[in-house]
Amino acid sequence: MKLIGLIVVIATGLLLLWGVTDFPDWADPQSPASTHLSPHFLTESIEETAVPNVVTSVLGDYRGFDTMLETTVVFAAGIAVYTLLRRSRRKDLREKPEMIEEELPHQALIVKTICRLMAPFMQLYALYVIAHGHHSPGGGFQGGVILGASFILLAIGFDLKMVLKRMREKTTLVLGILGVLIFSGIGMVCVLLEKNFLDYSALSAILPATDIIMARSHGILGVEIGVALAVMANLVLIYVNLSSDGKYERGL
Amino acid sequence: MSNLQAPILLVTIPLLAAFFAALGGMLHRKISFPIALIAIILSFHQSIIVLLKVVNDGVINYRIGGWMPPFGIEYVVDHLNAMVLVVITFVSLISIIYSKLIVERELPDKIPQFYTLYLLLTTGLLGITITGDAFNLYVLLEISALATYALLALGKDRALISTFNYLILGTIGASLYLLGVGHLYIATGSLNMADLFRILPSLSGNSAVMVGFILIIVGVWIKMAFFPAHGWLPNAYTYAPSSSICLIAPLMTKVSVYIMIRIMFSVFSAEFTFANIAWQTAVVWCSVIAIIGGSLQALAQRDFRKMLTFLVVAEVGYMVGGVWLANEIGISGAILHILNDALMTLCLFLVAGILIFKTQRHQLMDFRGMFRKMPVTMGAFIIGALSMIGVPPTCGFFSKWYLIQGAIEAGRWEFMAALIFSSLVNAVLFFRIIEIGHFQHETDSHDHAEEKISEAPAIMLIPLVVVAIALVVIGLYTNDIVTNVIQHAVPVL
Repeated sequence: MKLIGLIVVIATGLLLLWGVTDFPDWADPQSPASTHLSPHFLTESIEETAVPNVVTSVLGDYRGFDTMLETTVVFAAGIAVYTLLRRSRRKDLREKPEMIEEELPHQALIVKTICRLMAPFMQLYALYVIAHGHHSPGGGFQGGVILGASFILLAIGFDLKMVLKRMREKTTLVLGILGVLIFSGIGMVCVLLEKNFLDYSALSAILPATDIIMARSHGILGVEIGVALAVMANLVLIYVNLSSDGKYERGL
Repeated sequence: MSNLQAPILLVTIPLLAAFFAALGGMLHRKISFPIALIAIILSFHQSIIVLLKVVNDGVINYRIGGWMPPFGIEYVVDHLNAMVLVVITFVSLISIIYSKLIVERELPDKIPQFYTLYLLLTTGLLGITITGDAFNLYVLLEISALATYALLALGKDRALISTFNYLILGTIGASLYLLGVGHLYIATGSLNMADLFRILPSLSGNSAVMVGFILIIVGVWIKMAFFPAHGWLPNAYTYAPSSSICLIAPLMTKVSVYIMIRIMFSVFSAEFTFANIAWQTAVVWCSVIAIIGGSLQALAQRDFRKMLTFLVVAEVGYMVGGVWLANEIGISGAILHILNDALMTLCLFLVAGILIFKTQRHQLMDFRGMFRKMPVTMGAFIIGALSMIGVPPTCGFFSKWYLIQGAIEAGRWEFMAALIFSSLVNAVLFFRIIEIGHFQHETDSHDHAEEKISEAPAIMLIPLVVVAIALVVIGLYTNDIVTNVIQHAVPVL
């Protein structure tokens, strides 16, 4: 069995090496990836969507549908972990004996203080990353991960109960659903306004003082907020369930 | 530009409903089911609209976000995927009604989560089928895969470990697909299928394109459990809860076959795919082994569900082999078999679900005396079995007929022999069960629990009967389906 595995691995490796022989050179400006679609995005993006950051305009608008579904992937992962791990029945909760607590008070003090100090700055920075995604690297996924990480840091530094007090199970679930709902809801609003799905230009009809182009920019901001909420909530959901074995008690 | 919105609606209605089912389920666990049911009915309705539109007016293009392809993502509905869309929404509709009671019994504390995942899986399969963008397909592949893992792992006994096994293999398959798409992007700079189809012929002999093709096809084969990558399927499907398996077993493999056909003929071309005869021969031989091996292993099983899972493996061999026969009749047969096999598999898994619901067991021996106790269920079982064997006028006969004709035309006698062999094995399999059900009664009558078993409740029986009737009706209207739909879906060779 091991031998078969080895043969498969070697064959795949050789295949991939052979494939590389016809790749364009590293950073070749004449490669198909840089000449086929990219010039359009680079030159037209600001005129078509009023977003200076091309990555954001491709991610949020030209291929916004992919991004919406990627957010749904995050949601699906969160709900899958929650479904499989969360224990709701009484007898499951009493299954394992309590762990013996071993804590060195001095070390814990340093860790807790640092974590407490860092958390608000992380969250502030996360908001900046989300809001500034139009102009600089960033956006919903990155900001959402930083937001989620701030909660996870607190959960590691203190304990799970402390985080659960601030971010209850229901809140996490609702925020996770709300995030994806904002994104697909904006898409549906466009359909209701008699344009195609996720055609943000339709939003100019309901947003004040926006023309068709600016509506796209605002639409992207709206969906980025949805992405951030979904990513944050689902990261916390996955962490809490994995670390506490679905019991929502002690955590790591 | 008030376009036809049906193509996007049929995907986004179940998607939005998944979120609302999760939200509503937090208020009350019984809200999720009506939300899911209504969404799937609406989606089914939209898929019918799309199919009729395609049959009457031809291909539908839908630009998401209003962007011109290849800059934006495009939905393209032609005859092939219009048919598959209807199959998906139909199967989804049938099994959601059917499984209401099972869910309430099997997963009483996880009802909202179940329906959320169920809707996500339906969305994923519909999205895979309808999209005209190679990367968009991958994203939906992920959604459907994640939902499938969770739904399968909810089962009992060894469900978790066998699903984990599937998760590893499924992830490898999806990664290979993504890597292949990456190769194509490096070589062409495009992700739109129609655009790739235009560019790729000018790159013949490019090794990156060749490797991309191989990676994608192998990735999809792992996903559909084609021999020799079929090992994950039987266990993962056997231990799954019967509420979710009725959606997963009929559709996952079929949708993977659809992806393979789409990649072979709509991204690459028939000339490219069938350029290498040695490849083609090797694939047909693999499918021969899949058919014969799957049938023989099915024969060795004493567990009804496990037997069915090996038949699924054999059926995958039918479809892959049919496509790789490389002639129009073979490909028509394979496409027709996507439709027929989805319904046949559904029918048999519905029977298995009722058996488990009533007796809590799923051994072949548990069919003892079932004809007396559950005449309607067993009647539907017989129709499903006859279709699986390939007896006219059930639909299974016609697709097999096309496949055999294709094999003869291509001169692939080994494939024809495998098809006939598997029909014979299926006959043995199912007549054995019919014999157990008809002639063997529990001799030890002191087992009082068994005596109470009666016909299943109507909410489970009606979907089963509808599917059984559909098997016959589709068989009778095969000619119309082929001339109106499938003929247009087959590439010109």
